[in-house]
Amino acid sequence: MTPATIQPSGIALKIARVWTLALATMTQLVRMKILFFLVLFCVLVVGAGFAFSVINPEQQLGLIKTVSLGALQIFSIVIGIVSTALLLPKDMEDRTLYTILSKPVPRFDYLVGKLLGVLMLIGGGLFIMDLVLSLVIYTRQGMVMQDALRALEFSGRATPETIAQYQAVVAKQGLTWDMHWAVFAIFLKASVVTTMALVLSCIASSTLFTIVVSFCAVIIGHGEHLLREFFFHPYLSANAERAASLGLAIVFPDLAQFDIVDGVVNGASVSWAAVLDMTGMAALYVVGYMSIAHLLFVEKEL
Amino acid sequence: MSETSPAVSVRHLTKVFKGTLVKGSFTAVKDVSFEVQSGEVYGLIGPNGSGKSTTMKAILGLLAPTKGETSIFGKSSTEVASRRDVGFLPENPYFYKHLTGLETLLFYGRLCGLGGQNLKDRAQDMLKLTGLESAADRRVGGFSKGMLQRLGLAQALIHDPRLLVLDEPTAGVDPAGSRKIRDLILEMKQRGLTVLVTSHLLEQMQEVCDRVGIMAHGKMVREGRLDDLTAVENQTEITLENASADLLAQIEQLVKASGGGAKLLSSGKPRTTLERLFLEATDEKS
Repeated sequence: MTPATIQPSGIALKIARVWTLALATMTQLVRMKILFFLVLFCVLVVGAGFAFSVINPEQQLGLIKTVSLGALQIFSIVIGIVSTALLLPKDMEDRTLYTILSKPVPRFDYLVGKLLGVLMLIGGGLFIMDLVLSLVIYTRQGMVMQDALRALEFSGRATPETIAQYQAVVAKQGLTWDMHWAVFAIFLKASVVTTMALVLSCIASSTLFTIVVSFCAVIIGHGEHLLREFFFHPYLSANAERAASLGLAIVFPDLAQFDIVDGVVNGASVSWAAVLDMTGMAALYVVGYMSIAHLLFVEKEL
Repeated sequence: MSETSPAVSVRHLTKVFKGTLVKGSFTAVKDVSFEVQSGEVYGLIGPNGSGKSTTMKAILGLLAPTKGETSIFGKSSTEVASRRDVGFLPENPYFYKHLTGLETLLFYGRLCGLGGQNLKDRAQDMLKLTGLESAADRRVGGFSKGMLQRLGLAQALIHDPRLLVLDEPTAGVDPAGSRKIRDLILEMKQRGLTVLVTSHLLEQMQEVCDRVGIMAHGKMVREGRLDDLTAVENQTEITLENASADLLAQIEQLVKASGGGAKLLSSGKPRTTLERLFLEATDEKS
């Protein structure tokens, strides 16, 4: 029989172990047909791209972006919450967790592996959806420009200045780097929500509890500015309400920070500083929530 | 340190599960102590709810003891490193259904720090050892209970551990599958592995264990070498082959004549076990 040659403990082994768990998690989710959402999205984007041809050209490109990026936000959050809420209880129920944690696998590595697997799935899905969206917008942009040129020529207004003006408008509403940054911001938001769902999953007694509370947290997270207003303006509410607002604002993430989609659809450009700011905030939330998840999971009686 | 330490050491283990407001706390294990020496097969037996599984989980570091301590080859069970030398098969194991038999072993092997060709060779060896070679490329979702149990044993052995912990390894498995698992335990014993096993099938435990601990109501009520525990001190068993009726009558007379309170309690043909009969009968058919 072949003797087992075990890699010595160290960072390389830790990375290999987390990667093994992440790949297994991602494969598990793919086989659970979670990516059915992806197909649904592609159909929606292609439909949105070619269904509203009566609207004026700039509005049409904006509409494709609004519908598609909105769908991406919803899908990434739904996948993040549902996948995370399903995985941990399922591993416990099937006793797969016992066989994994009875190997020399630290509980933190297990959690990181699970989170990474879900994030890889969301990231991979968003990347594919971004490609499809870019392709549809690029194609539609060309068609919109051709239609505009034809209309200008027909009305006899096809001067170089007018054409350049039209080109600038269409380019602003068409495929831009800012649209990719918007998809990246969606990924960051989904990462924060997924990590928060992981924390809830560590204390929850049922999958449904995790899903319901996570969705509530997403709603609260989008209205954090209201909570802050309640807290910082005493005349708006009583002390108990202010305390509750503060508590909620501390516990739940401020998800509105990642909302750049509307700006991008309206043609605003995203600066590197804004991207770094969002990435840093997301990293802080992920590290913070992971630390809490670890503290809860390490004490969990299996 | 680990060379001289027992394979498993449980000292004054107590586990209390916290209750809710409605239900009070529950003491699953009360002041249990025992040791498993390197190379022996130790059976932990007891009725349902006697605390066997809780004790095993504490040994594996899956549960934190309320009091006392457990260690594996001298390393505290709370250290992740203690699990480097352990292979564990839980009761009724399930694995990721989307993986094949081979992929499952590769997955667990990687978690243990194996890799490359060595891992592939080990996985093939384990499939051969547990008789699952033909199921290597089949999805685990389609495995029978006996196959799952054998796959569980294969994953427990993938990293060549020194200690094998088996929780009800033959639960729900048919007699033939059960025999196969028992043979594997005996093979592991011959290879020098230490085995800690729980089972409700006492007859099987009697066949494989060197020592047993009997638990009831969270306490260790009896513990020791199986031969010592099962021997009836004031009786002697003689088994004869091809003995004539005359010889038997002579023996009976001799016992009566010897005096000193010696009595022949029974004589007759020894019975085979129902399990052995079942296995012989099903073998004949095939």
